[in-house]
Amino acid sequence: MSKLQSQKNYEVLREQFKKERDPERLVVSLCAGSGCGASGTKEVMKALEKEVLKNGLKGKVEIKATGCHGFCEQGPIVVIYPEGIFYPKVKPEDIPEIVAKTIVNGEVIENKLYKDPLSKKRISKGKDIPFYRQQLRIVFGNNGLIDPNNIDDYISMDGYSALVKALFTMSPEEVISAIKESGLRGRGGGGFPTGIKWETCRKAHGDIRYVMCNADEGDPGAYMDRSLLEGNSHSVLEGMIIGAYAIGSNQGFVYVRNEYPLAVKNLGIGIKQAEEYGLLGKNILGSGFDFTVKISRGGGAFVCGESTALMRSLEGKVGRPRAKYVHTVDKGYRESPSALNNVETWANVPIIINNGPEWYASLGTEKSKGTKVFSLVGKVRNTGLVEVPMGTSLRTIIYDIGGGIPKKKKFKAVQTGGPSGGCIPEDFLDLPVDYERLAEVGSIMGSGGMIVMDQDNCMVDLARYFVDFLKNESCGQCTPCREGITQMSEILTDICEGNGKEGDIELLEELATMIKRFSLCGLGKTAPNSVLTTILYFREEYEAHIRDKKCPAGVCKALFHYEVDEELCNGCHLCALKCPQEAVTGEKKEPHHIDQDKCIKCSICYEACKFDAILIK
Amino acid sequence: MITFKLNGKEVRGEEGEYILQVAERCGVEIPTLCYHKALGPAGMCRLCTVEVFDGRKTDFVTACNYPIREGMEVRTKTDAVLEGRKLIVELLLARCPNVPMVKKLAATYGINKPRFKKRDEDCILCGLCVRICERMGNSAISLIGRGVDMKVDTPFHLQTDLCMACGACASVCPTGHIKLKDITKHAIQPIPSEYDMGLIGRKPIYIPYPQAIPKVPAIDRTVCMHFKTGGCKICTEFCSAQAIDHAQEDETVELNVGSIILAPGFEPYDPSGDVTYQYSRFPNVVTSMEFERILSASGPYEAHLVRPSDEKEPGKIAWLQCVGSRNINTCDQGYCSAVCCMYAIKEAVIAKEHSALPLDTAIFFMDMRTYGKDFEKYYNRAKDEIGVRFIRSRIHTIEPVGNTGDLKLVYVTEGGEKKEEVFDMVVLSIGLMPPADAKDLAGRLDIELDRHHFAATRCLSPVETSKPGIYVCGAFQGPKDIPGTVMEASAAANTAMGLLAPVRNSLVKKKEYPVEKEIVGEEPRIGVFVCH
Repeated sequence: MSKLQSQKNYEVLREQFKKERDPERLVVSLCAGSGCGASGTKEVMKALEKEVLKNGLKGKVEIKATGCHGFCEQGPIVVIYPEGIFYPKVKPEDIPEIVAKTIVNGEVIENKLYKDPLSKKRISKGKDIPFYRQQLRIVFGNNGLIDPNNIDDYISMDGYSALVKALFTMSPEEVISAIKESGLRGRGGGGFPTGIKWETCRKAHGDIRYVMCNADEGDPGAYMDRSLLEGNSHSVLEGMIIGAYAIGSNQGFVYVRNEYPLAVKNLGIGIKQAEEYGLLGKNILGSGFDFTVKISRGGGAFVCGESTALMRSLEGKVGRPRAKYVHTVDKGYRESPSALNNVETWANVPIIINNGPEWYASLGTEKSKGTKVFSLVGKVRNTGLVEVPMGTSLRTIIYDIGGGIPKKKKFKAVQTGGPSGGCIPEDFLDLPVDYERLAEVGSIMGSGGMIVMDQDNCMVDLARYFVDFLKNESCGQCTPCREGITQMSEILTDICEGNGKEGDIELLEELATMIKRFSLCGLGKTAPNSVLTTILYFREEYEAHIRDKKCPAGVCKALFHYEVDEELCNGCHLCALKCPQEAVTGEKKEPHHIDQDKCIKCSICYEACKFDAILIK
Repeated sequence: MITFKLNGKEVRGEEGEYILQVAERCGVEIPTLCYHKALGPAGMCRLCTVEVFDGRKTDFVTACNYPIREGMEVRTKTDAVLEGRKLIVELLLARCPNVPMVKKLAATYGINKPRFKKRDEDCILCGLCVRICERMGNSAISLIGRGVDMKVDTPFHLQTDLCMACGACASVCPTGHIKLKDITKHAIQPIPSEYDMGLIGRKPIYIPYPQAIPKVPAIDRTVCMHFKTGGCKICTEFCSAQAIDHAQEDETVELNVGSIILAPGFEPYDPSGDVTYQYSRFPNVVTSMEFERILSASGPYEAHLVRPSDEKEPGKIAWLQCVGSRNINTCDQGYCSAVCCMYAIKEAVIAKEHSALPLDTAIFFMDMRTYGKDFEKYYNRAKDEIGVRFIRSRIHTIEPVGNTGDLKLVYVTEGGEKKEEVFDMVVLSIGLMPPADAKDLAGRLDIELDRHHFAATRCLSPVETSKPGIYVCGAFQGPKDIPGTVMEASAAANTAMGLLAPVRNSLVKKKEYPVEKEIVGEEPRIGVFVCH
């Protein structure tokens, strides 16, 4: 592999790769992201390779282990191109049939196709599945199409052409104004206008400037950045190079948590391949611009996602935030101007440069442009990574894309923005999701976590869970955050254990207000959101815990018990069979009974009963 | 210069200053816990939070580290600020309910009992100790862990070599949480105060003794942290006269003189090696010099007569004479130190006067030598009227009495009888030795010493050394008391003057003034003369 010396070199190579990849050729794309990986991609891959060899198809079909396809609920996912036939939940034993029928004969195996839970219809192509149909996957779209460890794939899909465009046809100032015009805002959660950040950094005093990528994704249940780095690290790298060119930086860092081994590995391979092509390093594409990227692996502290803590950690110090009265774009890493952006923000940059800021600005709402990737999890049928234009309503995301709440349960709330976010109740389901509107209802965009909750979720317990998480993840240096969150956790635990007392809600509110105002960094300033929003929208649940000593959702074990509704129970005996404690007794076809002394409230009977005869009391 | 509003009043500050600095100057009080003038602001306790309006929005910021900006409006006592501060203090009280300093602080906010679950910590995590240790150039301790588990500790919770036991951390700790012994591997001991004979410690910056000339503090380079690590220099920030210069070096000044008078004084005998007296082992065996400091109003106990081991008031004190004098057995001082008998009597008499309890004093001696006119009368008065006991004897041993701190003297009387007596405290009347560097000094000046290494003089010219023009006075000539020393000093000065009489005024330079000129008729002018 020789280094590309010019724009021409690049273009020749790109055309060559395009030619090599006939769009009509047979490709089996297998999701090898962490989600599908956990569901058994490796075994499926082995079976696929074996079967292809057995059928003498070697050289005739290309097997591609790609990054995350987003529909993690249905993993491992196999997509067969050029038709785009989508097989979900593929097991190694399905492979012979898939190879024999679909690959060899182009035949669709009806019963292996995705079945829409609402219409009960089988859907053969991925793009027709409701989960994908309503998304706009401009950042994530290529994830399922390219081999993350093969830069040629990325280049063949016009990868690095935005870099070429920026380097050879735009001045750094023009790049900045394009980003400004596009309206791109930080996808890490803060929502600061990216173009202004770059411009301030470019103008800041200093000889050395740094660009950084924040891949310290720490929200429980969120994995957008992880999947992007695993599946398409080049899009992030390309964004960083363009950003560095615009800012005037020659050194970049990707701060990625070490718990993301595949992201670290694939990013490392991506950097190496980009360097080999001369897309990173000295004199990029003969333009005279130098830029190198180093990977820094974080130890897993949630607070290291905060910009100043991240930079301290990069410096080799303990990752604790400092006051941001002096901004990091003026004095950041090693006291030099530093531009830190989130993984997703960087990945948006090449798209803006390629398609133009006007096109990008046409997506989204007035103040929030482009798309946003959400990690849709919890009590929703289709969990996975969802990319939609800003301003898409929560209802569309949860019901149309997410398929709604399973098991006929009732939607209760959606928590956005990770542990520091707030809970949004049903009344606001039609809320268009953008930075401002989420803030209006007491939540935040955050990095894009979206946890859906149904009637079985206790909102007090939920607040307790997030506050408990933050109690341990606060850096600990400032009193309001360290002591305040600890005491909030104590109060919430008391409430959940039946020891709540009158005045606890008011005390929580008083604490939360002070913590928001007095804390040093964003972690503390947003930490009380889950408590404040659950009190605001579900105050009666708190009151039930405190006054009636009842947990209406049946989560806080000290505050409820299960009873059998004798009228609804038809004595099918399923609950009695499943009960690990032998607490459920009764003759068949007779109403059953639960022995409260034996019951450990594990909820197995409740989940098992098909007649809703087990009641939470 | 930056102008902004502080509680509605227009104030000014320099670029780069923080709100707290300006507020302090303007007399606006803002409470702090983690702030220290000599350390960079940390913004950890958040108690100094104030409201700032920047023309667009109001923010809550910490005054200790928020740089002042033109036109901003700072309000330090809004309801939100006061309520927030109070809640922070309440949280700290819940964390440290038994720390007096936190309790006191809470009381000022009207909080007696926190509404939160109490824990029993004694550290408020202000981080002052960690930051000052860093400033000392050591960083032996740091804030470890995160969230609720954060604490101050050494690496791996082990005592560390890095800590030099300077004690800076303990000195800034507001709650008394820091225990030096948990941190350091080194021995923890105060810097012994030379003036107080090591009975108490002193600081690395100190005035050597109250009558010191010039009476200015000196920095002890052997213990000052700056000279050990290059860090600290906190003193420079607190000296408002900016008089501290760590780069100052000792100077050698060469003077051309006609005569030299040697007055280097003496060296008190060190009884540490003397097994009989067990001075090094028992804290209640003290030297007469130490006892002088114990009796002194400016001493470690401010003239309250107590013994060092337990600061108990003694009921019985013994003085042992001829320690390091008239002894060629355990040391090489065959001579009589001349002053010990008198000072022992004086100490015994004054001790009796000072003691709140009736005090029994006993002086164990070989021969009572009351040099000087009428000194014998003082001895007799002490013996007959004041009741100081005098026991002619030889001391055999000093033994401890259990763990009481009391001491048993075993001695032999004049009649050869072995006796024992228990005392609360024993004072060793130590002798006078020539200065430690006497031999070296004599070598350099080419003067002779006598066999005890005092300056050799002749009977009828007691201030003249063996070298013409070099004179001696005081204890360097031989052990003597203060009046004798003063008298000799006059004699030495006079003798030197006599020697130099013929050349008097021969080196005087006459001040030359400009030649006066006639100014009659010149225009009158105004002169402004600046004296410096």
